[in-house]
Amino acid sequence: MSQSMFITVFVSIIRLSVPIILTALGNMYCLQAGIMNLGADGMMISGAFGAAVTAYFTGNPWLGVCVGIICGMLIGAIHSLISVEFGGMQNISGLGLNMMAAGLTSFFCRSTFKTGLSPNVASVQNMPWLAGIPLLGPILTQFSPILLILIIVFAISCYIMGRSVAGLRIVAVGSDPQTVETAGINVWKLKHICVITCGALAGLAGAYLSVGQLNFFMENMTMGKGMLAVIAVTVGRRRPVRTVIVALFFGIFDALQLQIQIIGTSGIAPELIQAIPYLAAILAMTFDFGKKLDDVNMNPYLKNQYKF
Amino acid sequence: MKNSKDSLVPILTPVCIILTAMLLASGLILAIGVNPLTAYGQMLKGALGSLNNLINSLNKAVPICFAAFAVAVSTWAGIFNIGVEGQLVFGAFGSAIAGAYLEGLPPTLHVTLSLLAGMLFGMLFALLPTVLYVARDLNLLVVFILMNSIAKLLITFFIVGPFAVPGQMYAATKEIQKSARLPYLVTNPNKLTAGILIVIVVGLLLWFYVGKTTSGYRLRACGENAEAARYAGIRVKRYQAGALLAGGALAGLAGGIEVLGTYHRLFDGFSPGYGFDGIPIAMLASGNPFGIMVGSFLFGALRVGSTTMQSKAGVSSEIVTFIQGVLVTLIAAQYIIQFTIKKLAEHKPEKGGAKQ
Repeated sequence: MSQSMFITVFVSIIRLSVPIILTALGNMYCLQAGIMNLGADGMMISGAFGAAVTAYFTGNPWLGVCVGIICGMLIGAIHSLISVEFGGMQNISGLGLNMMAAGLTSFFCRSTFKTGLSPNVASVQNMPWLAGIPLLGPILTQFSPILLILIIVFAISCYIMGRSVAGLRIVAVGSDPQTVETAGINVWKLKHICVITCGALAGLAGAYLSVGQLNFFMENMTMGKGMLAVIAVTVGRRRPVRTVIVALFFGIFDALQLQIQIIGTSGIAPELIQAIPYLAAILAMTFDFGKKLDDVNMNPYLKNQYKF
Repeated sequence: MKNSKDSLVPILTPVCIILTAMLLASGLILAIGVNPLTAYGQMLKGALGSLNNLINSLNKAVPICFAAFAVAVSTWAGIFNIGVEGQLVFGAFGSAIAGAYLEGLPPTLHVTLSLLAGMLFGMLFALLPTVLYVARDLNLLVVFILMNSIAKLLITFFIVGPFAVPGQMYAATKEIQKSARLPYLVTNPNKLTAGILIVIVVGLLLWFYVGKTTSGYRLRACGENAEAARYAGIRVKRYQAGALLAGGALAGLAGGIEVLGTYHRLFDGFSPGYGFDGIPIAMLASGNPFGIMVGSFLFGALRVGSTTMQSKAGVSSEIVTFIQGVLVTLIAAQYIIQFTIKKLAEHKPEKGGAKQ
């Protein structure tokens, strides 16, 4: 493999991994707090749509990113309302939100643009101001500035989960809400914050898809990346560094099958390459004989006022 | 008096949920400047307006109904099965292969064998998650999501690769033999496949099994309270494994009937998410086979009617996905809806219907 090819693949891996990593980091908070968020895809797609539409009508991609984050948070808020506040079934709620957001975005996309594809919008696909850096400059310019946000989010997440009181509380709320409530911590508030943070990060990931990686919105453009993120967290045992490594692993195979499709030679079917990470995830979970994880209590923790 | 109110809740809840979903969808339709009543009128006409359309809706309801049965069987055992979609596609593949490559069989035998092949493939695809769940206690949701993705990729690979028929407009498997085609009950004004008979037979069997047999009772005990069932001497894991495998077989049957009865070949993306349609139906009917049949018919009608609505009223058929999503989301919030209904019934006995 020549050097330029190597760089292309490397750039492509990072570019394709960004949305998975962002969503996975969000999902990590959710899962640690005892909420399964299968609605990540819905949060992403609404973020992507919000960002693309805003960028289309205002011409400002950064405004689009902000709107994308807010859209993700809104879906996150519905999820948290149902699964945290009202003691609903979180898995079903997540799946429902996925369908709802997919339907909603396609519906409005088709009514606004008459097709399932938006026109090209203003985007933030690269960082030209980094071109001055010697050696690495030409590579770094190929990334969206959202990558920088990702690095910041990752650093903060490592700090929160690794060495802060807030992180300990999140873990505690996930494993034993009753004890945490006895200790005087507002269980529901903390869970709400975790789920809505997850929505914000997934919305950002969606905005990255539509105005960071590409410059248009397409129906169902997340293509199951949200689910990949959920799996990355599970396989990554809900720790930030491991989660990011698993998400990168997914990105590698995504980039690989894309390259194979582009080159078009070699008798390997891209579908089989794409299936490898899924199989690997199943294997990783099956043979996960490491130290047993602290159990997360996935049952809804109901407020007294809703009991009957 | 209070008892009659309590028995109303299982009926009132789905009604409230469906009404709310329709109401929200009306909001969307209004937002793009179309009268919701016109849109719904067109939808109703397209789904049930003539015998022709009615048969279309019935045909559409068949695979959805099997998918809902598959979800329901595992729900009885206390498992949330979202792997139906993958099993359905794989079952369809099994039936398509058996239908196309087995030759020289009499029609009855060929159809039966092809359907059995579909069931077998669906069951085989459910085998790995089942084993992983029983032996390693893995998170079934995550495994099912992975298996769904794998099924989709594998089927694309098979259709484009080893089983592709050269010189076709779109990638698809070989057309099944004439002898493997599911017979039609009615051919005029439209073709009604025999799948509907299989639905009724399977529905009755399931109703008998879960309501009238000891084994069915034990299965439901596992779902109601696994711990208590275990102390009562029921082998919970064995029942759950059986439910998962049976769900796989039912899902495979759904795909098989769709291939043998409607399309006669398997092509990429042939399922518009039947497996996911099954989830809200099974939940809304709370596992009752007859409720599931009614619900599937409604969903089939919704799918058929939405295409008419799109062409006549200019409302994108994507609204169906939205309605389904809202339904599922509201089902997730069932607890609070039941709570509200009960609270309202206690305070104001004369007002029965309660909004969320």
